[in-house]
Amino acid sequence: MSKQKNNSSQKTSWLKRLWKGGSNQMADELLNKDGTPNDAEAIVSPTRQIVNNFLERKLAVGALIVLICMFITMFVGPLFMPKYYDSYTEVTQKSIKPTMSMMSVPKELQGDIKMIDGFGSFTVGLSNAGKVYVWGATELGTTGIDIADIPEEVQNSKIHMVAAGIDHIVAITEEGKVLCWGNSKLGQYGTESEAKARGEELNPNIAYMPEILATSGIDVSRIKKLTCGYQCSAILLDDGTMYLWGNKLTYANIDLFLNVGVMYDMDFTLNYIVGINGKRNAVFTGSRGLYDVVRTEIGGASYPIKDFLNGRKIESIVATCSSMCLVLEDGSICFAGDLPSTNAVQVPVLAAGEYFVDVVGGSYHYSGLTNLGNVYTWGSDTLDQCEVADNLAGSTKLFGGAFQTYTTDDSGNLIAKWGLKGYLFGTDTSGADIFQRIINGGKMTMTVGAVAVIISSLIGIIVGCVAGYFGGKVDILLMRVAEIFNAIPFLPFAMILSAIMGSMTLSETTRIFIIMCILGVLTWPGLARLVRGQVLVARESEYVTAAKAMGVKESVIAFKHILPNVMSVILVTLMLDFGTCMLTESSLSYLGFGVQYPRPTWGNMLNGANNATIINAYWWQWLFTAIFLAVTTICINIVGDALRDVLDPKSSVDK
Amino acid sequence: MLKYSLKRLGYMAVVLVILSVIMYMIYSLVPANRAYSDADAQVKAMKNTLPKDQLADYFDKLYLEYQRKYGTDTNNKFIRYGRWVGIYPLYDGSYNGLLQGNLGYSYEYQKPVVEVVKQPMLNTIKINIWATILALGITLPLGIYCAVKRGSKFDQGIQVMTIVGYSLPTFLISILFIWVFCSKLGIFPPSGMQTPGNTYVGFRKWLDEMYYLALPLIVMTFCSLGGMTRYVRASMIEALSLDCIKTARAKGLKEKAVIYSHAWRNALIPIVTLVVGWFLGIFGGSLVIESMFALNGMGRLMIQSLRTADYDVVLLMQMFYVAMALIGNLVIDIIYGLVDPRVRVSK
Repeated sequence: MSKQKNNSSQKTSWLKRLWKGGSNQMADELLNKDGTPNDAEAIVSPTRQIVNNFLERKLAVGALIVLICMFITMFVGPLFMPKYYDSYTEVTQKSIKPTMSMMSVPKELQGDIKMIDGFGSFTVGLSNAGKVYVWGATELGTTGIDIADIPEEVQNSKIHMVAAGIDHIVAITEEGKVLCWGNSKLGQYGTESEAKARGEELNPNIAYMPEILATSGIDVSRIKKLTCGYQCSAILLDDGTMYLWGNKLTYANIDLFLNVGVMYDMDFTLNYIVGINGKRNAVFTGSRGLYDVVRTEIGGASYPIKDFLNGRKIESIVATCSSMCLVLEDGSICFAGDLPSTNAVQVPVLAAGEYFVDVVGGSYHYSGLTNLGNVYTWGSDTLDQCEVADNLAGSTKLFGGAFQTYTTDDSGNLIAKWGLKGYLFGTDTSGADIFQRIINGGKMTMTVGAVAVIISSLIGIIVGCVAGYFGGKVDILLMRVAEIFNAIPFLPFAMILSAIMGSMTLSETTRIFIIMCILGVLTWPGLARLVRGQVLVARESEYVTAAKAMGVKESVIAFKHILPNVMSVILVTLMLDFGTCMLTESSLSYLGFGVQYPRPTWGNMLNGANNATIINAYWWQWLFTAIFLAVTTICINIVGDALRDVLDPKSSVDK
Repeated sequence: MLKYSLKRLGYMAVVLVILSVIMYMIYSLVPANRAYSDADAQVKAMKNTLPKDQLADYFDKLYLEYQRKYGTDTNNKFIRYGRWVGIYPLYDGSYNGLLQGNLGYSYEYQKPVVEVVKQPMLNTIKINIWATILALGITLPLGIYCAVKRGSKFDQGIQVMTIVGYSLPTFLISILFIWVFCSKLGIFPPSGMQTPGNTYVGFRKWLDEMYYLALPLIVMTFCSLGGMTRYVRASMIEALSLDCIKTARAKGLKEKAVIYSHAWRNALIPIVTLVVGWFLGIFGGSLVIESMFALNGMGRLMIQSLRTADYDVVLLMQMFYVAMALIGNLVIDIIYGLVDPRVRVSK
């Protein structure tokens, strides 16, 4: 016990001396004894001198601050993203430009909302005056189309209804004419005669828009529903007549619906068109048994649809990307299809006598309004769809965007909105938020770099110390081994090992750990040589000779006398090596031989940017990641350089 | 000196042998069985001419034959290694390995590896000679100037730039340059080695090639600027602080004479070794830049071979890289001894 105490007080006094310097400490002690000042020289301790010198370098201090912030962001940041997971993909949110405007309803529309609809990255709204507004990420990939450029014909006519698909918008004028804009390359709109007039060959994979919609139009009072799917659109009349057109390849059962022609209600999921036929007792898809069981809660028990309905009839169907909500006559609801399992918010339990009067669907969430005026949102919460706003009083109507919900009162005033605001740094080719991936990828990149450096420094320091201290044959042997490792060309060799690992069945974590080891094992010779050289010099210095003369043990000399003196040089090298390891990991991952998708690192996030078209068109997919990577490595190098200059007495003398 | 060189050469040979063993052992972890796939292919071709039971026998016979031919009829890795090098006889008693000039066979190209490697290597050498000339032409004067004007605004600016230069990974610099020069400014073509389908000859052909090589060369030069400029600057600063410079100045020599004839010669010693090492590096080729700009060089061949699991090519190239690195080390050490009499090489 007493020894331990002694030990700790020794440590604090050592730290004190490190900072204040031996003579100052002595001066303090003298002062304490008799209370009078003494004439011991005021000497700045070397450590303090180093810190002072370092603080004089503004650039280096700035770089250090940035670096520390970067570290904190990367390691604390992921804690604030509980909904993030590596393998997240979202087909409707691919390659979206950085924007935060996905929920910003235009001012002019806010007091006058007739309807709002969204499917992909943008949302379309219609005012009671019949004017169309578009907001969100409106530029459509590499097509060069900006869907916010509303055609003059639409601007000049009074619009009755609008709906948005993944890359097109359909509007119906008060006269019943259907107007569309956006991308039309895959048959999203356009009639057969229009295609012929353009001199195009008819595409068998396209269901062309019925001629009647473009020419004479339909009676708008009879329209029950206008809805758009991925690249398809449909208009349903109240007598069940269905107009359906679009890209046949996106919906497997489109031919069936084209033939049936009559439905009570219908909607689009991501892969199927789902309908309710006249009997109103089942979900019609064309494939038997696809959606014949229903659930009442996420992950709950499933019932055959017939048993659940028990004679009740389906009133309407609301589809999201992978599931659908069936609203029954009595206002109760049930679900068919795959409900989200990650970040899911459970279906609300309603009080007795409360029932849904309105249910709308987004891409993965549902919002419902009850007869008591309560609003509930459930389903996937990955993009904050279910963070219901607080102030909902007076909401009588619900509108669902793709990942947003809007509520209005009877006269169309916007009451509340919640959901996805947008993506600060845009999305990647899988539809994942680049900002979240940068934070999580940074953690991975830094971890790989740090572990690699630890491995390499452990080997390097031990080998260097042993070789330098013992010299002779041990030295020759160890330095030959170092030479062998030094002669291995780094990147090709790491790639071979990685490629061989790829042909084995390893878990991703094991793979990453092996990559760390490869990096570490291939980088130690440099450090070993440096340490050896330092130890060689230190071994011959006076204090070691003095220690030897005093009969201090060899191991004590090596670790208590020599190692602390070479430590500063080692630390600088470690710092610079850390930067190098991060760079190497990114290069490896960039070439596809490092950490693999979906696990993000800064290297493999840049993987896609390998040709001029993508580099230009999807600049946000590499620029932000590149900035993070560059800033981090530049800061590491600046700090490392400054430290080396500061620690090297020779360079500070001739400065 | 001769004794030292011989001794180093001996070390080098030992290191090379050890590395070749390591390489071969790693390479043999790859689950590729050339004898099996060859026999399989041949049997499949005969499928319609032979009855089924004979087919299996025929396959076994062929498989054994191919195994003996390729020297894989044993599971002993060291015997296989011996056969690969050419110091252990094959089943029929003949030797057919590296020493006999059999450098391997590329599966992907259906050609001996030497033929596969030839053209990319020529391209790489061509590109790298230009890159080296450009890089040296810029870094040497820049480094000297920075050392002479040490502490000036210009020097500080260059220092920051060089830190940026060597902190950024090559692929990032490539992406940036492609974005700026190809996409935004449209000055250079983004990839390739010549205008597709051209029939240029003579000077016009050369000009076309240089036009396509311009951007990769700029990127390569930029990448090497950082490290090299700092190196030149550091060694020049060291040289400028020597006593002989003080003496020269005290004698009243012109500043130009002091810098270029007194300091520069002293600074040259460490630089020369680096430059020599660099010249040996021109055979290597840059993995990233070549695959980025679709240049048919060694680096790109390496990545492609890795992707298509053409491991004979990879193994040979790897050995080549290793040999180059070792020779480079040796040459640098010897030249160091030659240019700097103070270095006691015999030690």
